Amino acid sequence: MMSRPVSATTTPCPSCRRPAPPRPENPEFPFCSARCRAVDLGRWLTEAYRIPTTAPELEEDEAPVVPDPDGDG
Amino acid sequence: MSENVTPTPANNPSDYGTASITVLEGLEAVRKRPGMYIGDTSVYGLHHLVYEVVDNSVDEALAGVCTDIEVVIHVDNSISVTDNGRGIPVGPHPTVIGMDTVDVVMTKLHAGGKFENSAYKVSGGLHGVGVSCVNALSEWLHLEIQRGGKVFQQKYAKGVPQQKVAEIGVTDKRGTKVSFKPDTTIFEATEYNFETLSQRLRELAFLNAGLHIVITDERSTKGHDFKFDGGIVSFVEFLNKSKIGLHEKPVSFRAEKDGVTLEIAMQWNDGYDERIFTFANNINTHEGGSHLSGFKAALTRSINSYAEKSQLWKDLKETPTGEDAREGLAAVISVKLPNPQFEGQTKTKLGNSEIKGLVEQMVNEQLSTWLEENPNNAKKIVGKIGDATRARIAARKARETVRRKGILDGASLPGKLADCQSKDPSESELYIVEGDSAGGSAKQGRNRRNQAILPLRGKILNVEKARFEKMLSSQELITLITALGTGIGKEDYKPDECRYHRIILMTDADVDGSHIRTLLLTFFYRQMPELLQRGYLFIAQPPLYKVSRNKKDSYLKDNEAKDAFLLNIAGERISVKVDGRTISGPELKALLAKVITYEARLEKLSKKKDARVLDALVQAATFVPSTLGEKEQAQVELDKVQEYLEARTPDVLDHIDVKRLDDPQHRSKKLVFSTEVNGSPRETVVDVEFLESPEYRDLTTLKESLKAFGAPPYMVSIEGEEKPFEAHTYQQVLKLAMDDASKGLGVQRYKGLGEMNPEQLWETTMDPERRTLLQVKIEDVVATDGIFTLLMGEDVEPRREFIEKNALSVTNLDV
Repeated sequence: MMSRPVSATTTPCPSCRRPAPPRPENPEFPFCSARCRAVDLGRWLTEAYRIPTTAPELEEDEAPVVPDPDGDG
Repeated sequence: MSENVTPTPANNPSDYGTASITVLEGLEAVRKRPGMYIGDTSVYGLHHLVYEVVDNSVDEALAGVCTDIEVVIHVDNSISVTDNGRGIPVGPHPTVIGMDTVDVVMTKLHAGGKFENSAYKVSGGLHGVGVSCVNALSEWLHLEIQRGGKVFQQKYAKGVPQQKVAEIGVTDKRGTKVSFKPDTTIFEATEYNFETLSQRLRELAFLNAGLHIVITDERSTKGHDFKFDGGIVSFVEFLNKSKIGLHEKPVSFRAEKDGVTLEIAMQWNDGYDERIFTFANNINTHEGGSHLSGFKAALTRSINSYAEKSQLWKDLKETPTGEDAREGLAAVISVKLPNPQFEGQTKTKLGNSEIKGLVEQMVNEQLSTWLEENPNNAKKIVGKIGDATRARIAARKARETVRRKGILDGASLPGKLADCQSKDPSESELYIVEGDSAGGSAKQGRNRRNQAILPLRGKILNVEKARFEKMLSSQELITLITALGTGIGKEDYKPDECRYHRIILMTDADVDGSHIRTLLLTFFYRQMPELLQRGYLFIAQPPLYKVSRNKKDSYLKDNEAKDAFLLNIAGERISVKVDGRTISGPELKALLAKVITYEARLEKLSKKKDARVLDALVQAATFVPSTLGEKEQAQVELDKVQEYLEARTPDVLDHIDVKRLDDPQHRSKKLVFSTEVNGSPRETVVDVEFLESPEYRDLTTLKESLKAFGAPPYMVSIEGEEKPFEAHTYQQVLKLAMDDASKGLGVQRYKGLGEMNPEQLWETTMDPERRTLLQVKIEDVVATDGIFTLLMGEDVEPRREFIEKNALSVTNLDV
C-alpha cells in the first residue's frame, strides 16, 4: 500500500474521534483541540489506557497489582 | 417651500445666532476631546459613528415605527444611513427658543428624545451621546427628512448648521437619511471596513426580529441583506452553523416584566467552545454584567437539579461546574430595559442589578420546564456536561500529578535512569529497556559516554481476578518525561528541551514487548509528536536467535534471518539431481527460499482454509474464475486435485466432501471443500473472489517459478552422506536440506532481552557499528494509534475478540 503523507489528510482525533486538521495547520495534532490533548494526557496519567493481556509469568519481584478500588477507569 | 406648514426656527437670524453659540460650545468640547465621547479616533471610533446613527434608526424600529434600514459606504468613505421611521421632528423646538428641533437634535449633546422615557421606552446609543457627536466630528453631514408628506433638508459642517432647515419637496414616504463624512483632521483612520460594519448590522438584524437591514459597499460590489424573522434563534443557528447541534432546535425563552423585555436563545453543539453573546438594548455587552451572571447562575442550577433528579450523573465524582455546563453552548441573551447603566472599562458591562434576579428567575422556570418536557434532548445535554466534567477531572489530575512529582524543576533526574556522561543531546541516546534485568544488562553493556538507560516494564493489573491488563504506570510515565526533560502538557511541554536526540525502544520480541511498544509509541505520538516528527524515535532490533556453528556465534534477528542462515549452509552441503541435471549452490538456495515463501503463504491462508487442499489446487490443477462455471472443466481439475492428494496426503481424503454451489454474487459457481483439520471441520471455499485474490495469484506465481525445479523425483545428495535421498515434493527437499543444516547447530532462542548478557546485548543491539535501528516515522504511528484505539475500546468484548483473533499474528501490533 502506498503510504500517503499524513499531513495531506485528516485523521480522527484520538480523544473525540472527530476529524483533526492536518499537522501543518494544527498545533494540537493529532488532536482536534488542546482540550482533547489534555483529556488524553489525563487518561495516561490516571492509567486508564490498558491493553488486555494474558496472565503474567510470575517472577519474584513482579506480583500483579491489586486494583485500587478508588482508581479511575 | 411652504412656510405655513412648517415654521422654521431661524426666521430671525439673530435668534438663530444666539442659539448657535451654545451649540458651538457643546460641539467644540466633542471636537476637542473626541475620545471621551466615541472611545477613540482610530478604527473603533470611526465605525462607532455609523453605529450611533444606525442606533437611532433601530430605536425607531424598537418603537415599532421602522422596518427598513439601509447603510451605504460611499466611494469617498462617507456613509449614508436611511430608515423608514417617523423622521426627525421638524419645527420650532418647544423649549429651546429660536431653534428648529432638527438642529437641536443634531447639535445639542444629550438632546435626543431617548432621554425622555416617553418617546422611546428603550433605546441604545452606546454612550448616549447621540447623533450630535457624529455631526460634530464630521467634515459634513447632510440630513434628508421625509415627514408629514414633505421632504426637508439640512446641512452641517463640523456640526455647525450651514443653513436653515429647508423644505425641498413632497413625498408619500417617511423616514430619515443621514449622510456624513468623518472629519479627517480628527480621525487617524479613514477607511471603513465592510466586514466590521456588516457584523454589527447582522447582529442588529438578529436582535430585532424582522428588521430589514441592507448594507452596500459602493467601493466594491459587496453587500448584505439581513432579515431574520427568527431573531436571536436565528442568531444561535448562525453561531452553530459549522457545528452539529446536540438538539435540533435552539431553546428559546421570552419574558416581559416591569417594562423589561428579556429574550434568550441557546443551543449546545458538539464542540467545546462557550459562545455567549449578551446584549442590552441592542448594545453588545462584551464585558457581560448582571444579565450574564443571572443566566450563568440559573443555567448551572437548573441543569444540576434536573440531572440530580434524573440520576444521570450518579457516577460523577464532582458536581459539574458552570464551565462544564456551558461547554459547547452557543447562547444569545438580549435584554431591553428602560434605563440601562453601562459600566466597565469600555462601558460594555450591564450594571442594572435588578436584571440579574429577573434573568435568573426566568431561566430557572423556563429551562427547567423545557428540560422536563424534552427528556431526550435533556439527556443528551446532561450527558455532554457529564463528559465535560469527567474530562476536566482527568486533565486536572494529570497536570497535578506531573507538577507534584517535580517535573518542572528538571534538576532531579529519576533514580531509575542511568544517564550518560554527555550533555549534548545531538549525540545522546536514551534506551528505554523493557524489564529490570534487561535494564541491568544494558547498563553494564552500554557505552556510558553517550548511552543512557531507562528500564521500564509496564504494570499488570488483575481485574476482578479474571482478566489481566497491561499499562504504563503513571510513575513510569513521569519517570520517562523527567528523563527526557521535555515536560508535558500544554504549558510545560518543550520539545526543544529533549535531552536525547535518539530515543530507542528496546523491548522483547513477544506479545508483552509489543504491548509495551504499542503503549509507548502511542504516548509519544499523542503527547510528544514533535519528537517523532524530528525523527528522534527508534526501535531496537534485538536478535531472536543465537546460533553457534563450528564454535562461531551468530545472532539472528528473526525467523527469516534464521531460514536464510540455514539456506546458506544448505547451499554449501547439498545438491539435487533432477532430470539428469544438478541444482546446487546459489540456484538451489534461491529455489528453496521460494519454497519457504510458498509454505509461509499457505500457512497464512491456513487460518481460513485447509492448506493441503490449497496446495493441491495450486500445484496440481489450473483453476481460473471461468473454470468454476463450467461443470465438466471443473470436474477435470477436481480429479487432478484428488490425484495429488492421494499421492501426498491421502488422509485428507478420509473426510472430504466437495460441493459445487451457486454463487449468485458472481453469477457463477463456487467449490466448497469440507475437510477435517486436526479433528475439527474446515471449509475451504474456492470462488471467483478467491481465484481473483492477490493471495491466490501469488501462490500460482510462486508455483510457476518453482517449475525450475523440474519434475520429481529429486535425488538429494548431502555432503558426508553416502547415498542420495529420494524426494517427491519441493517440501521434502526443503525439509531434508533444513534438517541437515540444523545438525550440529547450537540454536538458542532468546525469550527476552534478559537472557542476553551485557556483552551480547552490546554486540547485537547497542553497538552503533553493528546494530540496526528502525526509525519510527510519524506516518507509521497513525496506524498504531488506530490499533491502540481499538485495544482501548470501551467495549471489552470486541476488544478481547480482537486480541484473540490476532493472538497468533503479533506482528499486527508492531510498527
